[in-house]
Amino acid sequence: MRWNSLADTLVQLVQSIVPPEGTGLVVTEAELDVPLEVNVGAGSQGLVVLAQPPHSRWKSGFLLPTHMSRISIVVENGDGG
Amino acid sequence: MAGEASFLVDEFLEALVAQLDRTQDALAFKAVNRPLTYAIKDFNLQLQVFVDLDGEGNVRLRSSGPNEVGASTMTIAFTSITRPMIEENTVSLAATRAPSLAEAGFKPAERKRLERLGVSNTAQLRRLGTSTGSSVVSRLTEIPVDRLRAAFHFGQPQVTAVEPVASPPPVPAPSPTPPVLGGGGLPQLIRLTPDTSHIHVLGTALGSEDAEPVIRLNGVSVAASEADWDRIVVPVPRDLVSGMLEVELPDGATSRYQLVRDVAQANGEPVAAGRWAPEGE
Repeated sequence: MRWNSLADTLVQLVQSIVPPEGTGLVVTEAELDVPLEVNVGAGSQGLVVLAQPPHSRWKSGFLLPTHMSRISIVVENGDGG
Repeated sequence: MAGEASFLVDEFLEALVAQLDRTQDALAFKAVNRPLTYAIKDFNLQLQVFVDLDGEGNVRLRSSGPNEVGASTMTIAFTSITRPMIEENTVSLAATRAPSLAEAGFKPAERKRLERLGVSNTAQLRRLGTSTGSSVVSRLTEIPVDRLRAAFHFGQPQVTAVEPVASPPPVPAPSPTPPVLGGGGLPQLIRLTPDTSHIHVLGTALGSEDAEPVIRLNGVSVAASEADWDRIVVPVPRDLVSGMLEVELPDGATSRYQLVRDVAQANGEPVAAGRWAPEGE
């Protein structure tokens, strides 16, 4: 099973709330409650936290337990015009 | 946190913070080319873990495995904070550069007992000893008083050298080594080149946040332009020909240095202006 780092997963989650270009909509705040499967790997710089949404909605006796996360996202001004 | 491996809490938190920093960095890069961008304001994670205590008294986390019941819920909340908040809640860098407890000769079990009192280096140990008394620290940690006192001295401020620094461009030929004016407490002679603008006072535990050394030039206090743990930079007036530099440490010990500035000849060769210039030259 391939794991994503927590940073990659969080960036993807933040990107998911961006409205499509040209719609004229702006999301100013978002709060996501996301269950995550969490693992810890050993990297060259120490521990690396790996996390991603569960790959199955089934509850079984052999799948990893999930950990609930809450992510608050806010909009900020960028430098681009 | 799958599997049987367990991790120290602080190592896990560090790894978590590293991931959040990476996330914020990635989102900040996107802001360069976009009028609006997004940032994570708060992040909250409810971990299902088993909390273990290892033989050394460290708290370790182990994730619950598949079909494993009875796990504890550990909720970790992160929020974005500003730079002033970081500075208010962080131990100063100078304090962290003090010699460690291991360097001071404490055994692992003794270090663990000191760390439980919030002491992780000799500067913090000295501060605790100053405020509560070494006998109290000894009673709480079961470390003999004489060993604690020896450790207090281990990280004490001391001056090891003084070096003149020329303003750029540097002088091509270094000056000959200045002669030391005898022993017995006589001040060491420091030769300044014509373009020396600063003096580096080198040592250890100099830039403490509690008490910094007092520096005087010809009896007048001089403000350091930089103060670091192992170096203090003292500005020297351009028109100073000679003078007495005094470095008084917080414990009252004072080092004295006689400063003498060389004067430049027409051929550019510096000539010592001081009285120590060899006769006949």
